[in-house]
Amino acid sequence: MTTAAFDGSQTHDWIRRFAESVYATEAELTELDQRAGDGDFGNNLAAGVRAAGLLLDGTDRTAGPAKTLGAVATAFLDEIGGTSGPLFGLLFQALSRAAGSGPELTTAALAEGTAQGLAAIRRVGDASPGDKTLVDALAPAADALRAGAGAPPEEALAAAAEGAWRGVRDTASLTARMGRASYLGERATGIPDPGAVGVALFFASAAGPVRTLKPHLPPE
Amino acid sequence: MTRYFENGAGELVPDALAGFARAHADLVEYEPAEGYLTARHTAPARRVGLLSGGGSGHEPLHAGYVGAGMLDAACPGRVFASPHNRQIFRASRAVAGPDGVLHIVKNYTGDRINFGIAAERLADEGIACARVLVDDDLASDSEGIASGRRGTGATVLVEKVLGGAADAGMGLEALVDLGSALAGRCRTLSVASAAHHAPATGEPAFTLPPGVLEYGVGIHGERAEHTREQGRVGALVEDMAGALLDTLRPGPGDEVVALVNGLGSVTSLELYGVFGELARVLDARRVRLARHLVGDYVTALDMRGFSLTLMAADRDTLAFYDAPVHTPALRW
Repeated sequence: MTTAAFDGSQTHDWIRRFAESVYATEAELTELDQRAGDGDFGNNLAAGVRAAGLLLDGTDRTAGPAKTLGAVATAFLDEIGGTSGPLFGLLFQALSRAAGSGPELTTAALAEGTAQGLAAIRRVGDASPGDKTLVDALAPAADALRAGAGAPPEEALAAAAEGAWRGVRDTASLTARMGRASYLGERATGIPDPGAVGVALFFASAAGPVRTLKPHLPPE
Repeated sequence: MTRYFENGAGELVPDALAGFARAHADLVEYEPAEGYLTARHTAPARRVGLLSGGGSGHEPLHAGYVGAGMLDAACPGRVFASPHNRQIFRASRAVAGPDGVLHIVKNYTGDRINFGIAAERLADEGIACARVLVDDDLASDSEGIASGRRGTGATVLVEKVLGGAADAGMGLEALVDLGSALAGRCRTLSVASAAHHAPATGEPAFTLPPGVLEYGVGIHGERAEHTREQGRVGALVEDMAGALLDTLRPGPGDEVVALVNGLGSVTSLELYGVFGELARVLDARRVRLARHLVGDYVTALDMRGFSLTLMAADRDTLAFYDAPVHTPALRW
């Protein structure tokens, strides 16, 4: 591996670890969403990574990161109901496009793709930072990646994950303005946004699977 | 549970669409795997594919307006539920013209997001896509409603005029400008004396005492902010039309297109009575009634209610409105 990029096989492994993280924390995600949403987010995210896994089984590991990320995008966009799953699909679609046709996913491409994904999600969902949605984790991750341009991907992604988890913790104190939690008003205050947790899981899984959410969430 | 005639929960919509396509096989084609309908005939000059969609339960919206001179495709979701982005994406790809595809979207959060995701996917494939948002419902015009006015009856009028404009060869940007202007010149008010029955339970969405109306309902059984005594229909229509006209304030040279729309189980006898009262109000205010539609065009399952839509229209708008149309639910 060159130090400034992930190749196709490493991208593949990242997605596999993301799936492991989602399966390992599905019950915790569901519990969060029962308290701050409509309760199906853990399930939807798991369905997304499961569909992605099935598509990846038929994909050549050495085909390049864009192919892998494109397959994940299609899985999330096509196979998942509701809205938050397909919104994740837009992030993967932007990452795939930014990866281009080359054999490697560079830190610069990661930064560009994340920024584009954030922009697309904001266009579609009309959410701004502070609305208690996945944007609150994705925006700091995008900022960290932009600041880390030129760094090795492990370092840049560790910073992105840290930013995303910080964003997740910040959502706990917010009152939702968009999404299902917005109907709960103050009742969802204190509970981190499950969609934001999903984003943090993705970036954190670049380094290794996440087994439990507890260390990353604010104490109850 | 057994109020609706159906094969089972979840079968109502796909069964209806398959039957609809069979009944109107000369006009529309159904793609059952993806759940969308496309027009069999389209004008040679049309450069932009027109697509609409949203929850089912509003028949003849949306499928009824697929055909020559109006929509190129419709994406019906489940009853009162947004279509999936995949359905919209694939239908858009199927009907996009050389100048792209235009989405005509009623203002509801779910529809906005799913059409928006489909638009991002189209952009990723290099297919031009733009949106006209219909938000005509006067009852939801309030500072306190962050999501904005709902899209209701005006959808039919906007789709008809844009269909005429698209047939004349108008490009994507011009259609967006026209459609947005049209949407801004339409307002609707809806009332109901009884709720629709939910297919899942067979139960009414709400109940009202006799002689009481919900004044300002939505098309999904959303209750209004307030109720009023039903009283004589003349006084009711006078209040409704007055509120619409006070908001629209037709300008010099404007005429109005009126839609008197049944919400699912109001009789023609009543609707024509309503139309007569509306025409009387317009005459008294010296507003010229240029065109009109009376019937069930945008329903809310079997809701017992009606809506009034007025669109302030100039000469160009009326010319596009008058252009030939041949769809299952609208033809001239």
